[in-house]
Amino acid sequence: MKRSASVIAILVVVALWISACGPTSTPMVIEKEVTKVVTEVVMETVRETVIVEGTPEVVEKEVTKVVVEEKVVTATPEPEEPPAEGAKTILRVGTGDSGEGLNPHQEIIARFEEANPDILVQLEAVAGRDYYTRLLTQIAAGDAPDIMQVGDDAVPMFVGRGAFLPLDDFITGDYPLDTSIYLPGVLEPGQWEGQQWLLAKDFTPLGVYYNKAIFDEYGVEYPQDGWTWEDLLEKAQALTLDTDDDGNTDIWGIQLTANWTTGFEYWIAAAGGQLISDDGTQFLGYMDSPESIEAVQFFADLYNVYQVAPPPADFNLWAGGNAEFDNGKAAMRLFGRWPQAGYKDNPNVDLGVVGVPAGEELANILFWGGFGIFSGSENPEAAWRFLKFYVGEEGSEVWKDWAIPPVASVAEEAGLTEDPIEGVWIAELDHLAPRAYVFTPYWGETADPALRKALETVLIDPEADVTEVMKTAAQEAQAALDEKLSE
Amino acid sequence: MAVTFRRRTLRRTGSLARREALTFYLLISPWLLGLLLFVLGPMVASLVISFTKWDLLSPARFVGLDNYEKMFTRDPLFWQSLKVTAIYTLVYVPVELAGGLVLALLMNQKLRGIGLFRTIYYLPSVLPGVAFVVLWMWILHPDVGLINTLLSYVGIEGPRWLADPDWALPALLMMSLWGLGRAMIIYLASLQGIPQHLYEAASIDGANRWQSFWKITLPMLTPTIFFNLVLSVISTFQTFTSAFVATNGGPLDSTLFYVLYIFRQGFEYFNMGYASALAWVLFLIILALTLVIVRSADRWVYYEGEAR
Repeated sequence: MKRSASVIAILVVVALWISACGPTSTPMVIEKEVTKVVTEVVMETVRETVIVEGTPEVVEKEVTKVVVEEKVVTATPEPEEPPAEGAKTILRVGTGDSGEGLNPHQEIIARFEEANPDILVQLEAVAGRDYYTRLLTQIAAGDAPDIMQVGDDAVPMFVGRGAFLPLDDFITGDYPLDTSIYLPGVLEPGQWEGQQWLLAKDFTPLGVYYNKAIFDEYGVEYPQDGWTWEDLLEKAQALTLDTDDDGNTDIWGIQLTANWTTGFEYWIAAAGGQLISDDGTQFLGYMDSPESIEAVQFFADLYNVYQVAPPPADFNLWAGGNAEFDNGKAAMRLFGRWPQAGYKDNPNVDLGVVGVPAGEELANILFWGGFGIFSGSENPEAAWRFLKFYVGEEGSEVWKDWAIPPVASVAEEAGLTEDPIEGVWIAELDHLAPRAYVFTPYWGETADPALRKALETVLIDPEADVTEVMKTAAQEAQAALDEKLSE
Repeated sequence: MAVTFRRRTLRRTGSLARREALTFYLLISPWLLGLLLFVLGPMVASLVISFTKWDLLSPARFVGLDNYEKMFTRDPLFWQSLKVTAIYTLVYVPVELAGGLVLALLMNQKLRGIGLFRTIYYLPSVLPGVAFVVLWMWILHPDVGLINTLLSYVGIEGPRWLADPDWALPALLMMSLWGLGRAMIIYLASLQGIPQHLYEAASIDGANRWQSFWKITLPMLTPTIFFNLVLSVISTFQTFTSAFVATNGGPLDSTLFYVLYIFRQGFEYFNMGYASALAWVLFLIILALTLVIVRSADRWVYYEGEAR
């Protein structure tokens, strides 16, 4: 009796344990028969392009055009689980946004589901740095969301390795998209090797925030459109002050971005240089070119020589320790549009925004997030319909309350183009320089650490020779790139 | 009466022995399954991956010992991360052992309210790792942080801590010392297990406090010290959270811990093969260190009941 009881107990434990460790249930996708045929063709061809030797070959494939019959399911409230009858397609959307940033997503999803009752959309949000890791493992397992959000410098990595479907055929297909509706510069970051893979979700160039209160108090003229690095230095020096004579600076001229490498590309572009050759193979001669050195020198001087920038509180990009502008202790700040909403509400700051100053050239860079369709998606047409809604006029109507919408007409109608603050960001789109990552998919592993180390060196050691530091950086980046290219 | 199983005894009662063995395996089967599926299986997979180049999306490519060759000859960051981790371990482990012991001795007194102090010292060890590190990042803030503010009251201008390549690692060390409570608790338990009659005998013989500490307490504690030492070395070599959250490798790679480097290679650069190779080298290093410590244990660890 005792023996069999213990055996049963053991088996129960094992059974429970195994069930707990079973695979997570994937949502049931009820597909219309027609869609299935198209899916298989697409999947096979995409697999063949996955051979990374720097430039994936683009294989011509046939996407069978399918006419989808829309069945209007009457009076069905949105069910918790997929309904047993009525063929509703379920789309999954992956995003790295979190918190309040999810509101526009949910709003757009609600509107889309109303207009397209045959499709249900599930939002899967993974906040923070885990998003890409999770996305990659999902892609590797073939189980990624149908629509995935990806940031600019991740585009080559994901697109180059076949994670997305090219959109050109969808754009000209049954549910066409007129790409001329977009603001300038907003489509390009989603392109790779001559095709469109992603469409814009949101974007921001760099800009200079300034605190009108500080400018007014010390009688300095506001920065104007068309200002230069010399103007920047002049205003920053005029507004770096020791107000209580204790030997410590109380108000800083401009809060800069320390060792932020991608943001630093603005300085290089404005100096008239570029960090890498157009064919993506050479850092030598570019990262250590006279223009690049000039940019780094000026940047470092702002910190070390003129001392108009507060010293970095940390070199960890995720810590965000410098808060001088937030506290009303810095007259200006060079950054993107991300913290703008907070600044508008901040009592310490009377906000004004102006475009970036010109160095040798007037140039800015764009930070960008976009959506694309997973190459292994089982519902590419439904996904495209949603994508088109998301990044087209309908979606922009929602986005305009949260960020600058990608569609030009929506931005104009909402008065954003004329707005003294928002209009600045839109105007900056007219002189964008390409980001360095478009020239090589290996930026993160080669140039980024080398450039970061160079910036840290010149900021930590005021005596460092900028020319030597940049030469070292170029050599390190080149060595790493050569190794990657030869693999 | 000691019972020793001898094969002859077992074989004579065949079916009973077999049933007992079956029950045994059934009972440990969940654990065994877990070990195979979640520990041994992935370890073998990781070893295989370390001989390939794989970025999760493209098919894996077999490259033999390439990753290991690159690690030892062409990767200065490998040596840097080993150096950072070694320095950190070399400083942290002795301090944790000694510090934990001192705290435990203090907490071992029969005073009123001693429980409160034990709780206070143990509390930091149960705080969630990331929250703990973020708290410390603010304490260490070079401009408005607690430490530099206190230092400024005595006229010292504090260093820039996590923003200074010379002070970032010491800052992380300081941060981790708050976790001494864990070692303290283990020592405390051991201290309270030392039989009182030893102390009584010693005091009859005229031993003073220092002598009874050195000749009784310490030898009786050596098993615990050994245990703490092995565990501490193994876990300190794998420090990750504080570096990842506080400095992400630190100014000029001064806090590039080994596991952080593995993470970066694997999940930021997607060099899965190289990261697996790094992980295996770490495993072998820790294994070697542990073996050295265990071998040396014969000489200095004293178990109760042994004649020495």
